[in-house]
Amino acid sequence: MSRRLHIEVFRYNPLDPNSEPHMESFHIDEYDSMTLFIALNIIRDQHDATLQFDFCCRAGICGSCGMVINGRPGLACHTQTKDLPDHIVLHPLPVFKLIGDLSVDTGVWFRDAGKRIEAWVHNDHDEFDPMQEEARMENSLANEIFELDRCVECGCCISACGTARMRPDFLGAAAIARVARFYLDPRDERNEENYYEVIGNDQGVFGCMGLLGCEDVCPKHIPLQDQLGIMRRMLALHSVKGILPKALINKLSHKGCCHENHKG
Amino acid sequence: MTSSTITLHAPAKTKSQGRLDVLQMLSGVLLILFLWAHMLLVSSVLISPSLMNAIAWFFEATYMAQVGGPLIGLLIFTHFLLAARKMPWKASESEAFFKHSVMMKHRDTWMWLVQVGTALLILVMAGIHMWVVLTDLPISAVKSAARIQHGGWLPFYLILLPIAEVHVGIGFYRIGVKYGVITADNRAWYKRRENALMGGFIFIGLITLIRFMYLPLHSGM
Repeated sequence: MSRRLHIEVFRYNPLDPNSEPHMESFHIDEYDSMTLFIALNIIRDQHDATLQFDFCCRAGICGSCGMVINGRPGLACHTQTKDLPDHIVLHPLPVFKLIGDLSVDTGVWFRDAGKRIEAWVHNDHDEFDPMQEEARMENSLANEIFELDRCVECGCCISACGTARMRPDFLGAAAIARVARFYLDPRDERNEENYYEVIGNDQGVFGCMGLLGCEDVCPKHIPLQDQLGIMRRMLALHSVKGILPKALINKLSHKGCCHENHKG
Repeated sequence: MTSSTITLHAPAKTKSQGRLDVLQMLSGVLLILFLWAHMLLVSSVLISPSLMNAIAWFFEATYMAQVGGPLIGLLIFTHFLLAARKMPWKASESEAFFKHSVMMKHRDTWMWLVQVGTALLILVMAGIHMWVVLTDLPISAVKSAARIQHGGWLPFYLILLPIAEVHVGIGFYRIGVKYGVITADNRAWYKRRENALMGGFIFIGLITLIRFMYLPLHSGM
């Protein structure tokens, strides 16, 4: 394996008034098990020290190196060059604020989303007793919660979402799956009405158009499609309580994909 | 509500957005079932023109055509209004979505643009189709055949048939995805089924059109 890779990178520094957005080509030699993260480091070391891109863990855990790789959002450290053609085109993730070149600020977006969905455990306990033994839960439930907790907030699902691209206020798969995580968690004492208040609108579950970009790019393979379906059905049924008969709503909420028979 | 308005007011609780979503889905499901039933009923001409005439007579004798027809028109318009809430009306939105589709090369994303385009065409063409048929009752195989053979209606139906079936097929798949019936596990299976169903209905529609093209207009029948 000794391909010569042609890596085309988006270059733009928003802080430099003289900088114009443009594509710049770099040529490097591929070697065995090379990841895009390694390739970018080689470019920065040997070709252009000013190239901006984010990385931290190089193991798909920190979620910093999300970028658009030949049109599809993905993690650079998770992507092997052998799976790509000779010509690789890299863009920064859309939707997020551009810091420069391939580096974007996902933090502000996720902080805003986290506040809007109130991504913390809600309860009305009077006080927290640090000495008390933690409430136990079934291992299977803990696993289900962990399955959704694996999200690294890399932003790929948001960048792959046509709705998020059109509408800046759309919460996107990561945020809705986050609510699904709290919905599963018995320590979060919010009821359906409370969840409806945060995502029961066109900026939340009802804004999703089922394009499945999120599902198809998620580098962590989090079951986004299923979680979006579960949350949408739960909240849609909640909105027609009192209109449709209770028995029908009950029946529908246990059909198809739902938490109790979802195998993560 | 954005972070800039979050402290300004407590928004009133409302269930309306969930209900609108349910209504969009329900109107869609009804129209899907209607279109499939419609296609099968019209294709009865393949078995025999008199069977089609008998079915048409039944729907008129029970006033289902006279009353149900306009109601279906109303349902189409309602469904359009509900679904149009998501359409990319702003230039910035359509531009962003188109750019996004080109970037992603992702079929499910492109399919949504197909939905938007076919929706607009169907809104106009289904209206014309209904006007022409319902202002010229009773429906009969010979009258339908005459429309196909004269007056330039063949190209009209050659467009309306596939776009209506495609819109309905994609819509069916999309409802399944949105409401968690089509899951990650069975998505590929449903997609194959959906494509087969869509292809099947377009095929039935096409041979029905061919039958109308060659149906003799002046025989005693």
